[in-house]
Amino acid sequence: MSDTKTIEGVTDAINREAVQARTAGEPAWLASRRMHAWEVYEDTPMPTTRLEEWRYTDLTEKLLLDSLHLGSVEARPDDPSTFPAGLRQAMDEDREASGHLVLIDGAVVHTDIREDLSGKGVILCSLREAVEKHPELVETHLATAAVPPEEGKFQALNAALWTDGVFFYVPRGVRLDLPVRVTRWISESGAAFFSRTLIVAEPTSQVSYVDEILSDDLAAQTLTSSAVEVITQDGAQVQYVAVQRMGRNAFYLSQQRTLAYRDSTLDTLNVNLGGSVTRVDLNARLMGPGANSDMLGLYFGDADQHFDHNTSQDHVAGHANSDLLYKGALDEGSRAVFRGVIRVHEGAQQTDAYQTNRNLLLSDEARADSLPNLEIAADDVKCSHGATVGQLDEESLFYLMSRGLPQAKAERLVVLGFLGEVLSRLPLGGVQEKVTRAIEEKLASHG
Amino acid sequence: MSGTPILKIRNLQAKVADEDLQILNGLDLELNSGEIHAIMGPNGSGKSTLAKVLMGHPGYEVTAGSVDFNGEEVLEMEPDERSQAGMFLAFQYPVEIPGVSIANFLRTAVQAHQGEEELDLFEFQDLLMEKMALLEMDPAFAERPVNDGFSGGEKKRNEILQMAVLQPSLALMDETDSGLDIDALQVVSNGVNKLREENPDMTVLLITHYQRLLNYIKPDHVHVMVDGKIVQSGGPEVALQLEEEGYKSWREIEAAQAD
Ligand SMILES: Nc1ncnc2c1ncn2[C@@H]1O[C@H](COP(=O)(O)OP(=O)(O)OP(=O)(O)O)[C@@H](O)[C@H]1O
Ligand SMILES: [Mg+2]
Repeated sequence: MSDTKTIEGVTDAINREAVQARTAGEPAWLASRRMHAWEVYEDTPMPTTRLEEWRYTDLTEKLLLDSLHLGSVEARPDDPSTFPAGLRQAMDEDREASGHLVLIDGAVVHTDIREDLSGKGVILCSLREAVEKHPELVETHLATAAVPPEEGKFQALNAALWTDGVFFYVPRGVRLDLPVRVTRWISESGAAFFSRTLIVAEPTSQVSYVDEILSDDLAAQTLTSSAVEVITQDGAQVQYVAVQRMGRNAFYLSQQRTLAYRDSTLDTLNVNLGGSVTRVDLNARLMGPGANSDMLGLYFGDADQHFDHNTSQDHVAGHANSDLLYKGALDEGSRAVFRGVIRVHEGAQQTDAYQTNRNLLLSDEARADSLPNLEIAADDVKCSHGATVGQLDEESLFYLMSRGLPQAKAERLVVLGFLGEVLSRLPLGGVQEKVTRAIEEKLASHG
Repeated sequence: MSGTPILKIRNLQAKVADEDLQILNGLDLELNSGEIHAIMGPNGSGKSTLAKVLMGHPGYEVTAGSVDFNGEEVLEMEPDERSQAGMFLAFQYPVEIPGVSIANFLRTAVQAHQGEEELDLFEFQDLLMEKMALLEMDPAFAERPVNDGFSGGEKKRNEILQMAVLQPSLALMDETDSGLDIDALQVVSNGVNKLREENPDMTVLLITHYQRLLNYIKPDHVHVMVDGKIVQSGGPEVALQLEEEGYKSWREIEAAQAD
């Protein structure tokens, strides 16, 4: 493995010099976007628990920003035999795909895409490569309408410091029958990684995309900041799935914005099982009439894991649907926060928007807070929200045990069933099985 | 073999676990292998509580008495151990388990009954399909989540499906007939009778309010339960008599006792 850094002379502290170093060799438009983002970052105060959106996640306690260094950007060989075992195992389960992309510590080490698809103009490549080879596509979409730096402090930090990421582009009318699979592995403890994902589905195209991030347990806090932009143009259909199965000490920060234009379908699934702290900001924007977004989420915590999901369903246009279901089970001393808002913009009549968050507490120490919200500026809409926090029900356990299931098995079955409802709403090749297996492993480890 | 005692309940007393509410007040009952018994009694007399206590529901505390099942004291056993020992309770109000399919649930249950020995999935599938056919159930039902969104009748039929798959030696059926239409009642009763043909040692304790079930599944003994005790036992004629007269006479005795 080579030790040379692809960016010469980069300091590894998070500062203006680091951003400047990133701009070396980049086109002017990108360099100026980075510097602008850095300014937004500096001008935005660090969020505190006084802000509604950060009320239950205290960053002064949870995020050790000063002790993090920027992850080294090493060029690594595209040689699976040198990959960590956990990464290879995850990749082995993903043979059925339209294409693959693998990142280790934020750097793309492998890409493949089926030839017939690249022949039709489908692009799956590293974002750096896309900046060079497809600047017009990247410039149009990157960090503009989706996940702009103005969205928040960390969105700005990511836009300033991202090293690499994924670019996935599907031209008009092209349909992929199998998902594209991205697998990320993080190994450098104490580092901060910034990556971006840009997915553009042109009109009437059809794709599914599964992004999995993994690591072993890490010795010190390690930050992965990921900004995701999904753009679904008129009549296109996109399924976006993100699965986080990192080890202890991982701080996972994922900031996603989805844009669904006229008559398009843009479904998302966020699965969070690992990491010490998880924060997902998902802003789903329904931009055109007939747009439809199913927003699914699943989390399962133990030990002192902390999950914070902050979602918004922005109905910019009328005659669109969004339906959110986030479900989580919490064992031991784990904790979850869900904050969701349905925002119906002025004039967005005939909106159908639903939001449900359900939590199952498996121990007396576990805790869940759910804060559903409605902001409605139109009068002809159907909106509902609901949240529940419940415990394992004695009657259910007795019922299952009366059929011969020992208590631990009965509990597992109830939890799997509870979470499984989410997975069954997005039946995508292999995802259901893989996530179910991961949940089962986690349940089994509790004995 | 018929005639050997399978269940002996002696002076069973039970209360609600975290309340000062006594429900079973010294109940005695003895069932022999292969027999069919029916318990009838007014609402709230404790019939379901008896069934749940026999199955080990944690919401009730046994304050006195013993329950001997095939020579073993079951009051010491967990519900799953009772099931594995051959007891089964068809619930009056079956519980919904969202997200868990009937097939998955029953596979896990049968595996638990088998212990170490790995379940043959093909054999299980055959068994499940055979029992679903017996109860005239659509095979697609196997993939539906347990009781979730089922009609009252579907829930009851699903209870008997589970019973048919697990093949208990003692079946406690708590108001399986309520919620079933006439055709469904016939199908379910035929199913139960078929199971008894296959296994003549299977003992059945029916809890019901209606003679109409007893026309299909014919009891050897009928017991009347009032206020947490068996107050009368006899043959099938007891049920017919109750159908005529109701529980009025028992209520009068109770009222007299209370004075
Ligand atoms: N967990 C409980 N908490 C409080 N009261 C209870 C509980 N379980 C049973 N009871 C009460 O005990 C009495 C007996 O209830 P049970 O369900 O056993 O009656 P039942 O004979 O099955 O009636 P039915 O014919 O209506 O089904 C009722 O008054 C009931 O309300
Ligand atoms: Mg009852």
